Amino acid sequence: MEALPSSFRDPSGFVFSHSGSIYRQVNRSFANSFDTFLSSGLYDTLVRRGLLVSHQEIVDGNFPRTADCYKVLRPQQIPFISYPYEWSFSQLKEAAILTLRIQHEALKHGFVLKDASAYNVQFLNSKAVFIDTLSFDTYVPGTPWVAYKQFCQHFLAPLALMAFTDVELSKLMISHIDGVPLSLASKLLPYKTRFNFSLATHIHLHARMQQQHSDAAREDAARKAKNATLPEKGLRALMESLANCVDKLTWKMPKTEWGNYYEDTNYSDLAGNEKRALVDAFLEGIPESLRIIQDFGSNTGEFSRIAAKHCELVVSQDVDPVAVEVNFRKSLASPPANILPLIQNFSSPSPAIGWGNAERASFLERSHCDALLVLALIHHLAISNNVPLPIIAKLFAGITRWLVIEFVPKSDSQAIRLLATREDVFVNYTQQGFEEAFSQNFSIEKVAPVPESERLLYLMRTRWV
Amino acid sequence: MRTYYLLPIFLIMFSQQAAAYLDPGTGSMVLQGLIAAFAVVGFTIKSYWYKIRAVFGKTSPQSLLEENAEPREPE
Repeated sequence: MEALPSSFRDPSGFVFSHSGSIYRQVNRSFANSFDTFLSSGLYDTLVRRGLLVSHQEIVDGNFPRTADCYKVLRPQQIPFISYPYEWSFSQLKEAAILTLRIQHEALKHGFVLKDASAYNVQFLNSKAVFIDTLSFDTYVPGTPWVAYKQFCQHFLAPLALMAFTDVELSKLMISHIDGVPLSLASKLLPYKTRFNFSLATHIHLHARMQQQHSDAAREDAARKAKNATLPEKGLRALMESLANCVDKLTWKMPKTEWGNYYEDTNYSDLAGNEKRALVDAFLEGIPESLRIIQDFGSNTGEFSRIAAKHCELVVSQDVDPVAVEVNFRKSLASPPANILPLIQNFSSPSPAIGWGNAERASFLERSHCDALLVLALIHHLAISNNVPLPIIAKLFAGITRWLVIEFVPKSDSQAIRLLATREDVFVNYTQQGFEEAFSQNFSIEKVAPVPESERLLYLMRTRWV
Repeated sequence: MRTYYLLPIFLIMFSQQAAAYLDPGTGSMVLQGLIAAFAVVGFTIKSYWYKIRAVFGKTSPQSLLEENAEPREPE
C-alpha cells in the first residue's frame, strides 16, 4: 500500500488507492485532533450542509494500513479529479467561498483550517465540496490563521488576476503548485487595484510585507511570527473581509467567437434538434452502462446535457473560458447537473506537475472514460493544429471504449473558415481518409448524416489490440 | 480531579504541534493583525448602521458565510 503521489505534505495522514477505491489513513499523531473534530459536531454539520465529503470508518482489521495507523476511512468517492487551473472563474470563486464557509463554521466549533489549498476542493457534479477530512485543527485562541497566505495564493491572487488582468492567468497555477506568488500577482495586477482596499491589503501590501520580512534576520522573523497575535473577533473579521473581497470580484465575459457559438452555427434550429436526437440515439444504442462520458470541445455543454441522461457524470471540456463559464453557470441549477465543465486546451492539455511530475496527474492520466463525444472538433484538431487523423484516432482509442464523433468535411462552412488563410496540405482529410484512419483502432458501428449539412456522425467501438 | 483541569492545556499544546505543517510566512502572520483591526472597526460601524436601519424596519444583509445566506447569482 502506497500513498497517492499527491498526498505527502501533511503528516496527519495520507490518501491511498485500494481495489479501485480511494481511502484515507489517519495517523496516530493526529488521533486526538481527529476524535475531537468528530465529537465536536463539526463533521456532522459540514456533511449535512454538503460542504465536506462524508466518510465511513473501515473496521476490518485486515485492511491495508501502515504501522502508525490510527484509523482508515473510506470517503465519499469523487468520480473525476480536476484542478484549479482547469476551472472557470466562477468555479474557482465557488471553491474560495466554500473554503471560507468551512473556516467560519470550524471557528464556531473551536476549530480552524490548517491549510487552504485549492486542491482540497473538488466538484461533485457541479457543486464544490471539500475533500480533506484531516484539514481541521483545534483553534488556539489569539493565534492568527496559518493558512492565510495559502488562501491568498491559491484563491485570491488567481481570481483577482482573472478578473482584472486576463482570465487565462489561472494557468499560472500550473507553474506555481502552491498558488500564485503574491509578489507576482502584485506586479501583474493593474495599478487601479491599489485603490481597491481589499486587494490593496490582501495582495499588494501582503506582497510587500512578505518581502520585508524575508529580508529581516531569520531569528527576528521567527520571533515575530511566533509572537503575532489575533483575537478571535479579529480572525472572524478577517474571514468576512476575505469573503467580501472574493464576492466582489467579477469577471466581465468578452463575447468571443465560440462563446456565442450556438447562436452562430451553420445549421438551423430544426437541424440542431435532429442532431441532438441523433446523438441521443447513438448513446442510447451503446449496449452497456456508462459511468463517465467525456465531451471534448463541449462549448457551452449543449450535447453534454444530452449525454448526462446516459451516465453518472459528463466531463465537459472546452478550450474557451467563456464557454466553460457559461456551461458551469447553467450546471449550477438545483439540483446541480451531473456535468463537470472544465477548461482544456486539447493541443496542449494539462501536464503532470509537482514533485516527481506526479503530484497532480496529467489530462491523459485522468481522461479514461466509457464513452467520448467529439462533436464539431475534428477539423480544429486536424486542420488548425495539423494533427494527422491516425494520431488523433490512436489517442482517442487509448482513453475510451465508445466514441461518438462528427466528421466535418473540408466543404463545410466552418472548415472553409479554417482553410481560408492557409494552404490546404491536408490531402488525407476526406471522409475516406477519416474512416480508414479510425478503422485502425475502432470498428464503425453506425453512421448517419447530420441533417442540413455535409457532416457525418459516427458511433465507433474501440478495437482491443 | 486536578489532572482534569490540565486537559485544556494539553490540548492546546498538542494542537500547536500538529497545526503548523505549512509555513505561515512571517509577513502574512503580522499583516493579519493589521487588516483585522481595520475590518473590526468596519464591521462595528456597519453593525451600528444596521441597528439604525432596523429602527426603520429595514432588514440587514446576512454574512455570505452563514448557512442560510441567500444564494448568490453570478453576474
